[in-house]
Amino acid sequence: MPAAEAPAPTAPRCNCRAVEFLESSIGKKIMVALAGLFLCVFLLTHLAGNLILFLGGPAFDRYAQMLESNPLLPLAEGGLVVLFLIHIALAVRARLANMAARPVAYQVYKGKDARTPGSSTMALTGTLVLVFIIIHVATIKFQVGGAKGPDLFGHVTGWFHNPLYAGFYVVALIGVGLHLSHGVQSAFQTLGLNHPRYTPMIKALGAAFAILIALGFLSIPVYFGFIVHAPATPPNGAAMPSGPIGGAQ
Amino acid sequence: MTTNNEAKGMNLTLKIWRQKDARDPGGLVEYKVENVSPEMSFLEMLDVLNEQLVAKGQDAVAFDHDCREGICGMCSLMIDGQAHGPDKAATTCQLHMRRYKDGDTITVEPFRAKAFPVVRDLVVDRSAFDRIQQAGGFVSVNTGNARDANGVLIPHETAEKAMDAAACIGCGACVAACPNASAMLFVGAKVSQYALLPQGQPEREKRALAMRAAMDEEGFGHCTNEYECEAACPKEIKVSNIARLNREYLRATLVSE
Amino acid sequence: MKLESKVPTGPIEKSWDKHRFDLKLVNPANKRKFKVLVVGTGLAGSSAAASLAELGYNVESFCTQDSPRRAHSIAAQGGINAAKNYPNDGDSVWRLFYDTVKGGDFRAREANVYRLAQVSNGIIDQCVAQGVPFAREYGGTLSNRSFGGAQVSRTFYARGQTGQQLLLGAYSALMRQVGAGTVKLHPRREMLDVVVVDGVARGIIVRDLVTGKVERHWGDAVLLCTGGYGNVFYLSTNANGCNVTATWRAYKRGAAFANPCYTQIHPTCVPVTGEYQSKLTLMSESLRNDGRVWVPKKKGDERKPDLIPEDERDYYLERKYPAFGNLVPRDIASRAAKQMIDEGRGVSGSLSVYLDFQDAIKRLGEDKVREKYGNLFDMYHHITDENPYRVPMRIYPAVHYTMGGLWVDYNLMTTIPGLFCLGEANFSDHGANRLGASALMQGLADGYFVLPYTIGGYFAGTKLGKITTDHDAFKEAESSVNAHTKKLLAVQGKNSPSVLHRKLGHVMWDKVGMGRNAKGLNEALQEIPAIREEFWKTVAVTGTGEEFNQTLERAGRVADFLEFGELLAKDALTREESCGGHFREEHQTPDGEAKRDDEKFCHVAAWEYKGEGKDPVRHEEPLTFDNVHIATRNYA
Repeated sequence: MPAAEAPAPTAPRCNCRAVEFLESSIGKKIMVALAGLFLCVFLLTHLAGNLILFLGGPAFDRYAQMLESNPLLPLAEGGLVVLFLIHIALAVRARLANMAARPVAYQVYKGKDARTPGSSTMALTGTLVLVFIIIHVATIKFQVGGAKGPDLFGHVTGWFHNPLYAGFYVVALIGVGLHLSHGVQSAFQTLGLNHPRYTPMIKALGAAFAILIALGFLSIPVYFGFIVHAPATPPNGAAMPSGPIGGAQ
Repeated sequence: MTTNNEAKGMNLTLKIWRQKDARDPGGLVEYKVENVSPEMSFLEMLDVLNEQLVAKGQDAVAFDHDCREGICGMCSLMIDGQAHGPDKAATTCQLHMRRYKDGDTITVEPFRAKAFPVVRDLVVDRSAFDRIQQAGGFVSVNTGNARDANGVLIPHETAEKAMDAAACIGCGACVAACPNASAMLFVGAKVSQYALLPQGQPEREKRALAMRAAMDEEGFGHCTNEYECEAACPKEIKVSNIARLNREYLRATLVSE
Repeated sequence: MKLESKVPTGPIEKSWDKHRFDLKLVNPANKRKFKVLVVGTGLAGSSAAASLAELGYNVESFCTQDSPRRAHSIAAQGGINAAKNYPNDGDSVWRLFYDTVKGGDFRAREANVYRLAQVSNGIIDQCVAQGVPFAREYGGTLSNRSFGGAQVSRTFYARGQTGQQLLLGAYSALMRQVGAGTVKLHPRREMLDVVVVDGVARGIIVRDLVTGKVERHWGDAVLLCTGGYGNVFYLSTNANGCNVTATWRAYKRGAAFANPCYTQIHPTCVPVTGEYQSKLTLMSESLRNDGRVWVPKKKGDERKPDLIPEDERDYYLERKYPAFGNLVPRDIASRAAKQMIDEGRGVSGSLSVYLDFQDAIKRLGEDKVREKYGNLFDMYHHITDENPYRVPMRIYPAVHYTMGGLWVDYNLMTTIPGLFCLGEANFSDHGANRLGASALMQGLADGYFVLPYTIGGYFAGTKLGKITTDHDAFKEAESSVNAHTKKLLAVQGKNSPSVLHRKLGHVMWDKVGMGRNAKGLNEALQEIPAIREEFWKTVAVTGTGEEFNQTLERAGRVADFLEFGELLAKDALTREESCGGHFREEHQTPDGEAKRDDEKFCHVAAWEYKGEGKDPVRHEEPLTFDNVHIATRNYA
């Protein structure tokens, strides 16, 4: 009889409620969900900031300047890092546990059409987004590689003139969209927020949010990478190719 | 035996998982069954195959089954990658061969999860569910301690909702269908039944904490809200029960002393 | 063998209270010294194991399934009776008692039935306290519905899954005790023998169905809660695993088998479609609350049901039994269906009658009907691919429940001291016919409220010495089990056990089924031993005894059915009367109703095993009816 007796407890029992919570399957997912939702808020503000790119170099650089000079920025950045770390670390742990939960895979697995493209690719899109973030932060924030210059606008748009770079952005941002298409409504479910009246609404809003974020961010590499293709002047801010909005300045 | 001179039935190819015991690695073996009537249930088709195998002196394919009317939860089977086969809201014993056509090839595997080790062929050990239940899936009321049944009024809707959750047959299809082999639908249903009813209130927090712990100890996966469990559940238990479990667990963690 | 019913004397209303007071008690501290082996985890087994453990006894629980929750009680659909009188429609303990005695066609022990009615209310309270989600009215009180054989609404229900919910309630109580360490659970074990030491039951031999290992277990008492033997007919509404093995082997160790011929044929089942069919599915009796049973007036009318106009339909139950209409007891409804089919008025190949919901749908609306019977309708749809909301269900009677079983006294103890028998496995409360929604009541009454008292009386009043499983009786029982297995494996024939089981089933259904006569029964008594002989010459059991081997399990059960079927037929032949589910065609009224012979057969027939190849001996326990006036049943 393989398992008639209770299995020996694998982890030492801990009396600390918080640790038990974080170690638990549900607790992990709740933390992932909470961190994810906070990250969604960040995405929204980040998108708003990024869209200033369309207002042209000076406006964007003023915005960048304002951010950089805010004394609370390191705190916010630190918070962001913590959120990402929680989200990623716990998601990875959950994923590993999930792989261990089915050691022998099915020869044929079809399911009954409940999964969505977003839900079945969370680990994949999550990893893609992580890689993207690393490249994004390295190239944009720490300006590793690319055209060095005093203004951020030129630096950023300069990057997008590299079709490989812009192309990667496009792929990664579709990944973000997919990740969010499942993640947002899933987070609500994990937090226990399921109600016959509101859940359909949450699902719709989650999908809308995913599309909004993905399209919003995508507009930047697509516009600067593929539509306004002329890297007219080196990025020094004086004579910039301006977008439709920027042109209205 | 089977053929009874009926109208010619279907000829099918079956690829069935054979595994002598828990240690044997196992593998798919191909069988042919002939003259299958569309009126047969899937398990009756397997009965026919087994009668033929036994008559030839070969070991019958082991599979769990009992009531054959969709309520005991004993039958299982992953049929062409779907728990309990292609029908919605049905167990394998309720699946009929009219679903298939002549010449079809059907792959049959056991429910797979670390917490459901294979016993033999298509038979798995689901005693993990019993142990989860032992952790807190009950109301602690000794025989003879009850007050009059109408002493506690329970609104019709509450009773119906509790019944929706209580309808679980413990078959494990939720685990089998879940990409993560998670047991959240099973546990969610049980926790929900008691969380909804007044009888469950005194042990509400204790139960949520204990059943969650037992579930994790068994090695089930984490829920990633893909809802394949709900789609596979022969009793159509809803994932709102999983949300309730999440809520109950969070609440118990925060409020219990 | 002496059959001492131990029924208390005095007024029946007081007999259980008096008996409980007279029973000696076991001191709480001493209870844990007694080990009770409970075989089976259906309503009776689970409720008994849990209740005994709560009292402090040391309990071990055995079941053949992978989990106790799968016992076949789970499949009971319609409901559970209790004399609560919540609907204020005139019910009482006395009326439930009266209806049950009458429904059983005056072949049950009055005192047992009275006790059953008395404890019925406590069962509902207990189940509600466990969190069983019974149906409720909008105001929050419990709902009731009517069932066959009663003119009051006393049936509590949880949709069409009442058995499931009650069993899960008892299972949860059992799991609680397992978690607390007071019950040790042994799933996937099949009991293959009772160990009797100096005339007292002291243990069992079980086979671990996963490893094939044969195990000895000792106890101070053994409870058989192993259900009925309906599968002797091969096709029945029972689960595939239901069998007579545990009670049959107990019989061979000295427990008397009572009234094996009392089998219940349920009137509303999905009809047979082919030879390969492995089971018949019941459609709950509760459907007869709103469904109307009919056949065409004309013989061989092959028109579709909706094309048969109202005045060409024969609602024969309403016609023949206007007072009870579609809600006559099961035996009567089944026989009426058989009569219609014998007259050539059956539908769809003359194998069934209609159960029609069109009027109910018109009256209540489809939604209300769905709320009440949705899962039953879905079940029917799954099986037949027909939508019962649109076309009438086709139904036919099928073997469903067995009133006979091991003989037990008022304490539920068999003729082997220390061996108790509960639930469907015993013979005690339903007489010759069980009323709908009474099986759940009896299983739980035995387990929750009767046995936990009476077993105390047994322990307190009996000197039980220490025993170990090294005792010779254990060795002997184990080796006889092993020999049996070896014998099955040695045949090496060509017929799978189910082929032979099916053969037995044909004989049982044709000659020992709904209508029995001396000629057919005598033929059956020739044919059954012949099939048995064929079995032992041609059965094919592949594999070994030291592994998970479902063919071997099946073969063992079929071998027992092949012996038991003969006893059933013999009992049916000896009982020269018709009563309840036992219908002897020679004994009927001019209009085809059962005719009892109270002069000669107002007794329980209990059979005593006398050894291989010897005729069993028939004992009689006379039945007296001091409280219910014995009369011809009349539902018209």
